[in-house]
Amino acid sequence: MDDEEDHQKLPDLVKELILRLISQNNNNTIDSPNPNSSHFQSSLRYAHRILSSRLTPSVSPDAAAIADSVKRRLATQGRSSDALSFADLYTKFASKTGPGSVNNKWAVVYLLKIISEDRKNTKNLDTSVLLPNLGLSDAQLGKGSGSRVSRGVEKGWNNGILLVAKDSENRREIAFREFVNLVKEENEVSEEVLVRDVIYACQGVDGSYVKFENDNVGYVLSDFVKVPRATRTMVHKLCELGWLFKKVTGFISRSMDRFSAEDVGTVGQAFCSALQDELTEYYKLLAVLEAQSSNPIPLVSESASSGNYLSLRRLSVWLAEPMVKMRLMADLVEKCRVLRGGAMAGAIHLHAQHGDPLVHEFMRRLLQRVCSPLFEMVKRWVLEGELEDIFAEFFIVGQPVKVESLWREGYRLHDAMLPSFISPSLAQRILRTGKSINFLRVCCEDRGWSDAAAEIATDIGATARRGGFRYGETDTLESLVDEAAKRIDKHLLDVIYKRYKFKEHCLAIKRYLLLGQGDFVQYLMDIVGPELSEPANTISSFKLSGLLETAIRASNAQYDDHDILDRLRVKMMPHESGDRGWDVFSLEYDARVPLDTVFTESVMTRYLRIFNFLWKLRRVEHALIGAWKTMKPNCITSNSFTRLQHAVKMQLVSTLRRCQVLWVEINHFISNLQYYIMFEVLEVSWSNFLSEIDVAKDLDDLLAAHEKYLHSIVEKSLLGELSQSLYKSLLVIFDLILRFRSNADRLYEGIHELQTRISESSVSSRNQSKSRKQLVDKSVDQGSWIADGRKALTQRAGEFLRSMGQDLDAIAKEYSSLEEEFISQLPVQQHVDLKFLFFRLDFNEFYRRVSPN
Amino acid sequence: MDPEAARTARESLDLAFHMSNILDTGLDRHTLSVLIALCDLGVNPEALAAVVKELRREKNSLSSSVPAAPSSLS
Repeated sequence: MDDEEDHQKLPDLVKELILRLISQNNNNTIDSPNPNSSHFQSSLRYAHRILSSRLTPSVSPDAAAIADSVKRRLATQGRSSDALSFADLYTKFASKTGPGSVNNKWAVVYLLKIISEDRKNTKNLDTSVLLPNLGLSDAQLGKGSGSRVSRGVEKGWNNGILLVAKDSENRREIAFREFVNLVKEENEVSEEVLVRDVIYACQGVDGSYVKFENDNVGYVLSDFVKVPRATRTMVHKLCELGWLFKKVTGFISRSMDRFSAEDVGTVGQAFCSALQDELTEYYKLLAVLEAQSSNPIPLVSESASSGNYLSLRRLSVWLAEPMVKMRLMADLVEKCRVLRGGAMAGAIHLHAQHGDPLVHEFMRRLLQRVCSPLFEMVKRWVLEGELEDIFAEFFIVGQPVKVESLWREGYRLHDAMLPSFISPSLAQRILRTGKSINFLRVCCEDRGWSDAAAEIATDIGATARRGGFRYGETDTLESLVDEAAKRIDKHLLDVIYKRYKFKEHCLAIKRYLLLGQGDFVQYLMDIVGPELSEPANTISSFKLSGLLETAIRASNAQYDDHDILDRLRVKMMPHESGDRGWDVFSLEYDARVPLDTVFTESVMTRYLRIFNFLWKLRRVEHALIGAWKTMKPNCITSNSFTRLQHAVKMQLVSTLRRCQVLWVEINHFISNLQYYIMFEVLEVSWSNFLSEIDVAKDLDDLLAAHEKYLHSIVEKSLLGELSQSLYKSLLVIFDLILRFRSNADRLYEGIHELQTRISESSVSSRNQSKSRKQLVDKSVDQGSWIADGRKALTQRAGEFLRSMGQDLDAIAKEYSSLEEEFISQLPVQQHVDLKFLFFRLDFNEFYRRVSPN
Repeated sequence: MDPEAARTARESLDLAFHMSNILDTGLDRHTLSVLIALCDLGVNPEALAAVVKELRREKNSLSSSVPAAPSSLS
């Protein structure tokens, strides 16, 4: 077809169309359309104007899409069968191609669609328009008749009952319109805009009406905007979320800034990242909401103009759950602002005890993230002994110390960083396990623990894969720690027992420091005794070391391990002027790493105290034995005194007797004390100690057992705080005994000399004549005894014996008073074992009878 | 125009008329054919629809005024 032809055809067709349409109007006059009538002419003009005004369609020429929308509309109207048949027809229509078919198919379908819609609208309009028209006509009628009162009745008469309803609906419509106007007047801002603003506010961005105000500290709807109070309240409520959000993001960004300053710590970082993940969820929701906010509500009838999908109310429902979470997060952020590490985890954990499953689940998720660095640290610590804690967040703190105090002071629990979900006892176990590893590594230079650790790791690895090693799995943590502790401790004890021979060293200390090796002590006492009687400052410790060596060689100690004997040394304590060697001499045992963890300096000091006491006791015993050697009755043959005067002889015998009695009494005391110390104290404590070593599970148990052992020795040997007065009086008794010994020695020396003189004088009297000259020379040489002659001899002897007797009397008196005092103190002591000592000393209640009070 | 083309044209018109009926446009066959012809000439369908609508409204106002007259008389 030509363009020209088209141009010619177009007006013809339009004319035809108008003719058809107008002719339709007057159904009764179909066949008489008057093309020249004014009505037709005006219609034609009108049509041309319309056609020329819209040259391009407003939709894209896509027939299928238009047909689809028609079909959907039919379906939503409930005419599904029509929709199906329409679709069917359309596919057929679209398949018609070639000459004779419709070229502009989309236009035809679109045209049909529009006409159909128009027609429906006009129909609706018709019904709504028609009725007011009637009303209008009623009004006209009313005006015409002049009686408004009877209008309804007339209507009822005229148009049936329908008319009554008409009027009321009219009123309702007016009311609706008024309401709409009112709402429009009140709401300067439409709800959509408010929803958008609220969504912005929830992301911490100022909207056009809802803005963040610093003095109000929160998002508020500007006061200048006119909205109903209810809306304002709702906006305010919803905007709380924005405030909380700002707080949380503020915390995160502040923490992020400080990451470089190494102030936040790994737990803080984990917390931030967990919060960010939660916020990502929140962002997703907001994105969805924002997309929804511009969508209209899909309604069944299309004519009803619906508002946007997202109203403020819907928004408040949507945001209810995020609000709870956000509140929680803001709360946590507030709580954790100044906290770090374990303390932070603990604070968050306190919030996890919540009945609400939502909150509970949320907190669990959060805590799993937050605690993961902590648990990683625990794992490293327990399995490898590494304290990987650059930010000081872990509940175990290490400090650089000397090797020997590594176990006791090297590591400790940091209570503030201990999260409450790890019980103190568990924390203690964790601490000890890692400490054991470090101890093995540093002090024992042992690598065997790594095998044990690897074993645990594989064992636990299996369970960890099953259950996971994280927050909420405290059982797994406990089993890991227990398992690790069990193996590491076992290994540690093995090393200490087998490689470092702990028991052997303990035994050596008992033998040498606690004087358990009798022959050695006896021999040592014998050979160092003369040396120690010298003033302390003249004694050379080298010489004493040599003597110690000799003593070892001479006694059974020589068969002991060389390693042990090497560690035994002489130690001279700091001395003051006037001190004798006895006061400063002591033995020392060098424990060396790692056993110095057990035998620390303070422990060795206590051993030293015990040694000093025992050494004194031994010395006294030794002295008594020495005295006995001279006092043995068969050494003094009484027949040599027969020639003495009777009085002197009696004096001699009674002095000797007194001396013997005193010795026996002292000996009773000392030997019982000695027995008590050796058997009731040392051996009993030792056997307890041994049994405790056998059941000890870790180094702490071992230390405790040793401590108990030492403590019981100290307490029972009268060295404790409570028995200080007892100890002092004991020392006084020891001094007295030593004085007794020197007195007894002097006495017997005197007696021996006397004896010699007497025998000599008897010999000389027999040979008087022969050797007078010789005797005179001799007497001049030998002193005064013989020179004074026999009488003088007797007199001297009497004097000597008297003074010795007086001395002995004094000593005996002092001794008995001291012993009485000592024994009277025994029953009030707290130790049960001291009571045994009392029974032993006073077995026949002799002393009790002497002092009845 | 060959008979094949005429047949296709008639069938197309039939189909369009059916659709028109389903959509309840109230158009008769002849008017529809005129409209299709106009569409084929490239006239904007929106404009055509507007013409149909306007002219029908006119018709309605006329027809409503006609029955209104007797009611006012009564």
